[in-house]
Amino acid sequence: MSDNHAESIVALLNVSKGFMRDKLEIPVLTNTTLHIPKGDFVAVMGPSGSGKSTLLNLCAGLDRPTTGKVIVNGQDLGELSEARLSKWRSENLGFIFQMYNLMPVLSAQENVELPLMLTPLSRAERRKHAEASLRIVGLSDRADHYPRQLSGGQEQRVAIARALANDPVLLLADEPTGNLDATSAQEVLDLLESLNEQFGVTIIMVTHDPKAARRAKRLLHLEKGSFVQADIEALETSLRGVAR
Amino acid sequence: MIPIKYNLRSLMARKIGSLMTIFGTGMVVWASIFAFGLYGGLEKTFNTSVSPLDVLILRQGSTSETASAVTEAAAREIMTFPGIATDDQGNVLAAPELVVISYISKRDGSGNANITVRGVLPNSRLLRDNFKIVAGDDFRPGVREAIVSRALSDRFQGLRIGEEFIVQDKPFKVVGYFESGGGTSESEVWTDQRVLAQVANRTGATSSVQLRAVSKDAQQQLIDRITADEQVALKAVTEEQYYSDLAEQSFFIKMIGQIIAFFLTLGAMFAVANTMYGAIASRAREIGTLRALGFGRFSILAAFLLESLVLCVLGALLGCAGALLLGEIRTGTMGGSFTEVVFSFNFGPDVLFKGALLAVVMGLIGGFAPALRAVRMKVVDALREV
Repeated sequence: MSDNHAESIVALLNVSKGFMRDKLEIPVLTNTTLHIPKGDFVAVMGPSGSGKSTLLNLCAGLDRPTTGKVIVNGQDLGELSEARLSKWRSENLGFIFQMYNLMPVLSAQENVELPLMLTPLSRAERRKHAEASLRIVGLSDRADHYPRQLSGGQEQRVAIARALANDPVLLLADEPTGNLDATSAQEVLDLLESLNEQFGVTIIMVTHDPKAARRAKRLLHLEKGSFVQADIEALETSLRGVAR
Repeated sequence: MIPIKYNLRSLMARKIGSLMTIFGTGMVVWASIFAFGLYGGLEKTFNTSVSPLDVLILRQGSTSETASAVTEAAAREIMTFPGIATDDQGNVLAAPELVVISYISKRDGSGNANITVRGVLPNSRLLRDNFKIVAGDDFRPGVREAIVSRALSDRFQGLRIGEEFIVQDKPFKVVGYFESGGGTSESEVWTDQRVLAQVANRTGATSSVQLRAVSKDAQQQLIDRITADEQVALKAVTEEQYYSDLAEQSFFIKMIGQIIAFFLTLGAMFAVANTMYGAIASRAREIGTLRALGFGRFSILAAFLLESLVLCVLGALLGCAGALLLGEIRTGTMGGSFTEVVFSFNFGPDVLFKGALLAVVMGLIGGFAPALRAVRMKVVDALREV
C-alpha cells in the first residue's frame, strides 16, 4: 500500500531492509513506499516477522534501511550521523513501548522529565512540562510514585506522558496495549485517540490487537515485508474464523 | 546528560553487588595504603634524621658507621676546621660518636636483633633537632647508664626504664626515654661515648664525626677539605646523602609494596569490570530506552563510568578510613647497616591520596570496557532485552 501526500510527516521511499543470518540476507521490508500525513493515526498490523517493528525502528532512526530513504518531518534520516540522529530523536519523536520501559529507579515525574534533560529547559521549566504531561494522562497525583508502585496501565500512561513531554511531531507506539488488561488497554487507547484528535499528534501504532487497530484512523497491514490491502472488519472476521 | 540520581539510585538498587564491590575496592585501597605507608614510614624516618647543614665523616670506603673508624686525633683536628657552627657557649657543634652493635632479644619472643648502641657527647643532642628526654632522666657521664626511645623499649627486652641490657658482657641500665622527631636516632640506644669506648675496647677511635656547618657553602668547603686530605683517609658526606644511601638499601620494601599494590589493583579492576558488566547486562533495555529517547553514546559512556567511579571512590573512602583507624603502627626492619630501624607507618595525606588515586584508576579502567559495551549496544537489540 502506498499513499501519496504533500504534507507527509513520514515518507518511506523504496525502502528495503534485510538482516544477515549465517551469511544469508533475510529480507524484512521489500521496496516499500509509504506516506503518512501529519495528524494521522495509523495502526500497523501483521503476523510476527512481517516487519512491523522494523518499520517503527526505521521511522525512529534506530535502524537504517538497506536501500531507500526514510524522511521524517522533512529530514532524510540517512543524512544524519549517529550523534545528530540521537539529538534529532529527542526533538522530534515520542516512544511508547509494550513493556513501558520506565526507569525503575526514577519516580513518574522524573521519568517524564528524562527526555527534557536533553533540552535547554531550566529545572523549573522541565518540572512544569512534566507536570503538564502527567496532567494530560491523568496521573498528577502519582507524580512521586515509582514504577513498582503503579499498575501496568498507570505505568503505560506515565510512558505516554514521557513520550509527550518534548512535544514530539511523531509518536511511535510499539504494542502499547500488549501487556495490559482490557480495562487498562481501553484507557490507553482512549488517551492515544484523544492525543491524536485534540492535539493533532501523528501516531504510528504497531499492534496485534484488532480492537486497538480499530481506534486508528487507518490500518496498514504488513505481509512478508510488503503492505497489503486490508480493512479492520475483514481482519476481525478472519481472526474470529481462526478462533472458531 | 543522564541525571546523576539515575546512576546513584541504580547503584543503591543493586545493594549487595555494589556493597561487595565497594568493600573489595576498599580492601585493595587499604592494603595498598598499608604497603605505601610501610615504605613511606621508613623513608620518613630517614628523612626526619636529616639536618640540611650536617656533615657525617666516616672512614674512606665505609658505607655505614658500623664499618667505620675515625681516630681521635683526626676527629680533634677536624673539629678545629673553620666553617663549623657553634652553640651558645661558643663550643663547636661537632661530636665524635662511637657505634657498637648489641644483640638483644625481642619482647615478643620472635628472636634477637642487632641494636645500635651509640656513644655520644653532650653536643650530640644539639645535632639532633627535636631531641628531648620524655620520661626518666638523661644518662650520667662516666657510668653505665643509657637512654632509649619508647618505641625501641616496647620492642626489646631490657630496654625499659629500670631494666638492664648487655653490651660486651657489661650491663647498662636504662634511665630514661628520649625522642628525636621520629628519626633513626629513635632506633638507637644512647650512652656516654667514653664509657662505651672502654666497654667495647674501642678507645682511641670513634666510628664517625658528626658536625654542623654554618652555611651550605661552608658545608661544601668542609667536605672538600676532609675528602682531599689523603693522610687521614676519611670521607665526608652530607647527612642528607648518607641517609639517602641508607634508604636506597631498603628499596626492596618499596618495590615489593608497589608490586603488591599493582597486582591488587589489577585484581580489583577485574572485580569492578565484572560488577559493571553485570549491571549493564541487567539494564540493557534501560540503555536501549535512553538511546531511543535521544541520549547519545557519550552520555551513556559517562553515566556508566560515573557509576564505576562512585563505587571505587566509596571503596577508597572505606580503605582510607580503615587505614586511619589503625592509628599509629610501629614496626621495625633491618636497616642498611644490618641493625634494627624502628619506624611508624606513614598514613599521611600523600599516602592516602595515592591510595585514592589507585581507586580512581581502578574505577576508570575497570569501568571503561563495560561502559564501552553499553555504548556499542545496538539500540534495537537492547530494547528487545527482557
